[in-house]
Amino acid sequence: MHEEERPQVVGVNNLRCKFPGEQALLFQGLSLTIRQGEKVLLLGPSGSGKSTLLQILSGIIPNSVEIPMKCDEIQVPKQAGFVFQDPDTQFCMSYTDEEIAFVLENRNIPREHMPEQISQYLNQVGLKFERNRQLIHSMSQGMKQRLAMASMLAMQPDVLFLDEPTALLDDEGTTQVWDTVKQIMQNKTLIIVEHKINEIVGLVDRIIVLSPDGKIVADDRAEQIFADHREMLRDYGIWYPGVWDEQEQEHGENQKQEQGLHRSSNRLASEDYRVMTDTEPGKTGSLTDLVKMSTPEAEPALELQHFTGWRGKTPFIEIELAQVWHGDWIAVVGANGAGKSSLLLALMNILKTTGYYRVEGQLPGKTEKLADHIAFVFQNPEFQFVAHSVKDEVEFSLLSGTLSAEEQHQQTHAMLEQFNLQNLTDRHPYQLSMGQKRRLSVASALVREQRILLLDEPTFGQDARNTFAMLSQLERLRRQGTAIIMVTHDREIVKRYCTHVWTIDKGRLIDADLVSTP
Amino acid sequence: MGNAVRSNKLRLTDILVTIVIAVVFGVIYKIWGPTYDLMKPFGIHAEQMIYGMWFMAGTFAFVVIRKPGVAILAEVAAATVSAFLGSEWGMSTLVYGLLQGLGAEVFFAAFRYRLTNLMVTCLAAVGAAAASLILDYQYGYIDSLSAWNYTLFIGFRFLGSIIIAGVFAYYLAKALELTGVTRSLRPVSKQDYEALD
Amino acid sequence: MQISFPHRETWLHAVNPGLKLVILTLMFIMVILIHNLNVMANVAVVMLLLLCWSGHPWYRLLLYASPFILVFISTSTGMMMFGKGETTWFRSGLIHITEESFYRGLHLGFRSLSMAAAGLLFGLTTKPVRLFYSLMQQWRLPAKYAYSFLAAMRMIPILLDEFQTLRYAIRIRGTKQRSSRWNLYGTLKRYAIPLLAQSIRRAQRMAIAMEAKGFAEGQSRTYYVQVGYSRADLWFTLYYVILLSTAFALGILYPYHPHLVDVR
Ligand SMILES: Nc1ncnc2c1ncn2[C@@H]1O[C@H](COP(=O)(O)OP(=O)(O)OP(=O)(O)O)[C@@H](O)[C@H]1O
Ligand SMILES: Nc1ncnc2c1ncn2[C@@H]1O[C@H](COP(=O)(O)OP(=O)(O)OP(=O)(O)O)[C@@H](O)[C@H]1O
Ligand SMILES: [Mg+2]
Ligand SMILES: [Mg+2]
Repeated sequence: MHEEERPQVVGVNNLRCKFPGEQALLFQGLSLTIRQGEKVLLLGPSGSGKSTLLQILSGIIPNSVEIPMKCDEIQVPKQAGFVFQDPDTQFCMSYTDEEIAFVLENRNIPREHMPEQISQYLNQVGLKFERNRQLIHSMSQGMKQRLAMASMLAMQPDVLFLDEPTALLDDEGTTQVWDTVKQIMQNKTLIIVEHKINEIVGLVDRIIVLSPDGKIVADDRAEQIFADHREMLRDYGIWYPGVWDEQEQEHGENQKQEQGLHRSSNRLASEDYRVMTDTEPGKTGSLTDLVKMSTPEAEPALELQHFTGWRGKTPFIEIELAQVWHGDWIAVVGANGAGKSSLLLALMNILKTTGYYRVEGQLPGKTEKLADHIAFVFQNPEFQFVAHSVKDEVEFSLLSGTLSAEEQHQQTHAMLEQFNLQNLTDRHPYQLSMGQKRRLSVASALVREQRILLLDEPTFGQDARNTFAMLSQLERLRRQGTAIIMVTHDREIVKRYCTHVWTIDKGRLIDADLVSTP
Repeated sequence: MGNAVRSNKLRLTDILVTIVIAVVFGVIYKIWGPTYDLMKPFGIHAEQMIYGMWFMAGTFAFVVIRKPGVAILAEVAAATVSAFLGSEWGMSTLVYGLLQGLGAEVFFAAFRYRLTNLMVTCLAAVGAAAASLILDYQYGYIDSLSAWNYTLFIGFRFLGSIIIAGVFAYYLAKALELTGVTRSLRPVSKQDYEALD
Repeated sequence: MQISFPHRETWLHAVNPGLKLVILTLMFIMVILIHNLNVMANVAVVMLLLLCWSGHPWYRLLLYASPFILVFISTSTGMMMFGKGETTWFRSGLIHITEESFYRGLHLGFRSLSMAAAGLLFGLTTKPVRLFYSLMQQWRLPAKYAYSFLAAMRMIPILLDEFQTLRYAIRIRGTKQRSSRWNLYGTLKRYAIPLLAQSIRRAQRMAIAMEAKGFAEGQSRTYYVQVGYSRADLWFTLYYVILLSTAFALGILYPYHPHLVDVR
């Protein structure tokens, strides 16, 4: 594989491991060595064991977490630096300086040297504050991840482990994090797990692919993997560069076969009218005329004028003028903390609102009543689970309807199948993987067939296959006349699926425009 | 490497989980406090029926984690949190917390921390209530209430704590177990290691 | 937490937090042993007086102290109306107010007032970080407990946000209408299970992250924050010793009401 024989820093031989109480083994005899200075990317479908493997290689399993494992031989680094996925659960102190000091204390560094070292590590990741003291709770997600990296550097690690450090970040945060990694990675060994690979393929020199059952199925230089194993990556539903284009080809063909009607006609239409709107940026009036022509509805799905959503006495989201028609798919974009989730909550009348707001021509009324017209998917799916099994969770949405028990059952089943959850009907919703939870939350929102959908980042943490499945499902609904408002950080989705983009900045809708074609 | 030896020592994870559970209850207590105070002046001690809420952190945390010291730690932590949030009972909560935790802990220890069923949990709730009454006897002169009032007070306190800190806490912990989050707090069994060969 | 509100730092903030905790807890034991209403009233004044140096503005102090009135009323009225006693002042149905029970009720009111004042003082003038560093350095609290407390404190604002989101979700999914308002267990469960499950998982992840940052049990460690003793500790101790002795002396030598030497 590699010509030069650098010393091995991480390695395991014949690794076997399983979760307590589970039947199947997660790894059955996996072997792997990593040499000093290598930059390795671990790829694999969701649930294949990437995070677990990373924790074993860094010694977290079994030192901090007891998970049954055995192996013939294992080499873990003396000092491992680890950055985790969730920015909120890797700090134990409230301020930036205290957090890095915590690491220095663990290393027995004398107190006199600490302030100087704290500034040094903060500078290294490009964080600069007055007195190096900043409340962690008030930092953006991207800054938090950089702080996590600073405290990892304070460990003076031999090997850096990164487990999806940008999964919850917006574009800006993602770029910040990977730029930082680029700066600090010289002469260091790096092992990364990441779904969003576009930004990092240039950074790594070796890629290891895990199959769904936890076997290493490919291990080679990056370019080689994407050249030789494209087919396999697609079968496993792993993201790879160019997957969107391939997907779109297929998508287009399928639709042509199905109905002879597909997005590109829609796309053409939007291109024509983009010229029109360019003259009047930010105004939605002319756009809605266009959509009105294409959909026979007389009434817009949502209509907003001088609309403001408040938390207490502070406005958190303001909209001058906007309309949503049935058949629209609106992408809500903006930085972390811009107010996207607040917008959806305001539309649901959960935040206090003022201004003109109509839902299908009627006054919105209370949240409970609005729920009959609008389906809602939360940013964190775990909060919307109310039942103790996947099946009950979906059925719960139907309880207030008029369906018979038999019909409810059938609908539930159909829904679960569409979202690839049919084998998990009796699981507790909390025991699903991240991606499965997301799909369940979307499934239980869609099953009531309301004609307006509000979705808060429904595709995050999803592997390629499930993302495409969900998107085409939504696209089908849209064509049947459902209005979709979806918060997303994913540019590809906006470009390829959405009809309009709303840009939120600092709590204001600053731009509502048709999607421009690439 | 970590063999399946059952250790009763509190690891960092156990401590952190216990304290976090206590924080959740500490926040609930903070909301609970005014309710309790509002019910109190009526004098018939209806408020004693909900007093058991204050013992719940201890019994609940024990049923979740099942290690020595957890009940005391949880009660003290919940009291500390509500002290920091500015509890209207001030410093007395710390002493109450410590004694109530001890009262519950005694019963879990009596079964050598092996048995965690509804009965043991209820007994622990009774223990916490008894400990709190000892302190109330000193602090609140409950013995100089008129006899009917005094009986009502004690009766309601025990009844309330059995219902809330015993029965509620137990079934709440069971419901939490269904979610699977407690699984990684339990020791790994021998079979699990043997399955690897 | 009120700690995050802007305020002046006063000498009370400089007092060693461990010492403060111990002294204020000792106050609790002392208060239990006072049965003389005259002394108790004086002690309550001494405790309340110290709040003047909390460094927080008046209006905020009054806001925080407002529940004290409720506590005072709730602790005293029960005893006043239903306590035992000989000299009847008023009787109607079950309510029986006697001179003895009235003063005993008043005594209880002052007791909880002084404890509430101590608690508020502690909360307003103590930073959690300094408290736990002090407990590690002067009172030998094992580091794993101290840092767990600090990490858990950090979760409080996150927890409050989550609680709110959960309330929204319950409204949207219409769970609320579907169950009785009096089903206490059902309500408790609906809120507690998701909150607890999330928090437990978060706590586990935090523990892993802490150990990944090199934290280990029983390791020797240095401290970023050095908490020691200072002159403020002397003042603090002296304040209690001197003023409490005065409170006792005055209460005994110049009672407000001569009958009130023992309310038991
Ligand atoms: N605590 C647990 N108990 C039981 N099974 C678990 C537990 N944690 C993870 N698993 C299972 O182990 C498998 C591997 O999980 P792991 O988190 O390593 O996957 P991953 O490859 O990192 O996935 P993702 O890309 O979604 O993060 C999954 O199928 C998951 O359902
Ligand atoms: N419950 C709350 N109380 C007060 N402020 C809040 C609350 N929830 C969110 N905020 C603040 O409101 C602002 C907008 O938050 P919102 O969640 O709408 O952002 P977002 O655009 O959805 O961000 P993200 O991409 O991180 O999901 C942020 O500054 C956030 O800190
Ligand atoms: Mg993972
Ligand atoms: Mg959001």
